Amino acid sequence: MADSPVPAMFAIVTTNKDAVVSGGMAPVFVAPNEVERDRVAMWMCRITNATVHDLHNGTVILTVSHS
Amino acid sequence: MSGSAAPVNWDPMIVGFLAGFISRVLYIRSGKSHNPGYPSGYVIQLALAVIASMIGSVVIVALLGKQFTAATFLTLAATQFFNVRTNERKTLEQEEGLILVGRGAGYIEGIAITYEARNFLAMLTALSTSLAAELNLWVGIVAGIVFIIVGEMYMSGPRVGDMVDVEPTKLRFEKGTLLYAGKVMLMEVGLADSRQRFLTYGMGVTLTPRNARGQAVLWNIAQRQAISHEAAAAVGVQKDVGYPEQTPLCRMEMPSGTGIAALAIIPVEQDMDKLIKAIQNVPVLESGKWSRMHDSRKRKEDAHG
Repeated sequence: MADSPVPAMFAIVTTNKDAVVSGGMAPVFVAPNEVERDRVAMWMCRITNATVHDLHNGTVILTVSHS
Repeated sequence: MSGSAAPVNWDPMIVGFLAGFISRVLYIRSGKSHNPGYPSGYVIQLALAVIASMIGSVVIVALLGKQFTAATFLTLAATQFFNVRTNERKTLEQEEGLILVGRGAGYIEGIAITYEARNFLAMLTALSTSLAAELNLWVGIVAGIVFIIVGEMYMSGPRVGDMVDVEPTKLRFEKGTLLYAGKVMLMEVGLADSRQRFLTYGMGVTLTPRNARGQAVLWNIAQRQAISHEAAAAVGVQKDVGYPEQTPLCRMEMPSGTGIAALAIIPVEQDMDKLIKAIQNVPVLESGKWSRMHDSRKRKEDAHG
């Protein structure tokens, strides 16, 4: 329903390589710098109809809304 | 039936039919935004108008002619109109997946109910007008006009603009990525490219409720979805599949909960007047009309003065 989307995180793109742990529910993409991170995030969100959210710690997450 | 029926007086039926027909046709004007596919849509509307006003106007004449079977059948035909609402809802629900900014379930239900009600209103207008015309032709004509006007007054419910002030405002970003329209935070935009689009092309409005009722209207999420839909329908929206962050959003000022809402949209047509008019013209949804909050607030206000 368009009224109340329920977003689910489906991918993570980060420049903070040390923070990545194995396991977890979403694939993690490590980028060398913020420019490359934003480029990867943008490509993925256009391809998968996702929304990008910046966590301001070097990590962006991609969410998709199930309708 | 009896072969020697008295000669039928057709006048009440004709007057009643016309009154019902006009009452139903007037709805097409106010409802045209809900009924896409113009030529075919009009045919359906006109057919329904004819059938509904026919049913309404014939009943009295049939009863007076002692044609009770006919009158019973007519009431049976009237119940068929209950399906109209389901059909309308189904059409709109199917369309929901095909349009970029959905109407939302609440708005669809409201449109479907109005659609059904209009058919019954046409029937009632036809019925009561033909009843009045049985007394006297001129009484019937006057009564028909009165019924149409009264029906219009009652059926055109309140609009968002009646209880909410809509004003233009600037879009800006705080903390780098949080999109604000005026004081209201709308969402987090992670892509620099999208942020730039909001700043360059975006338009924002704040919706300030004038009274408790306006606030109750805005708290209703279905109502805000309807506002987003109508805004997008009026000025267009630069959005396609794959660009979910460019969806127009209408959000309340949170967490302070002042009751003020704001809307951000990236329009195709940079026309603020058109946007504001469209928002003011959004009908107040049935589900938003009487919420508990509104009720208790009103009582509190009354108690104060």
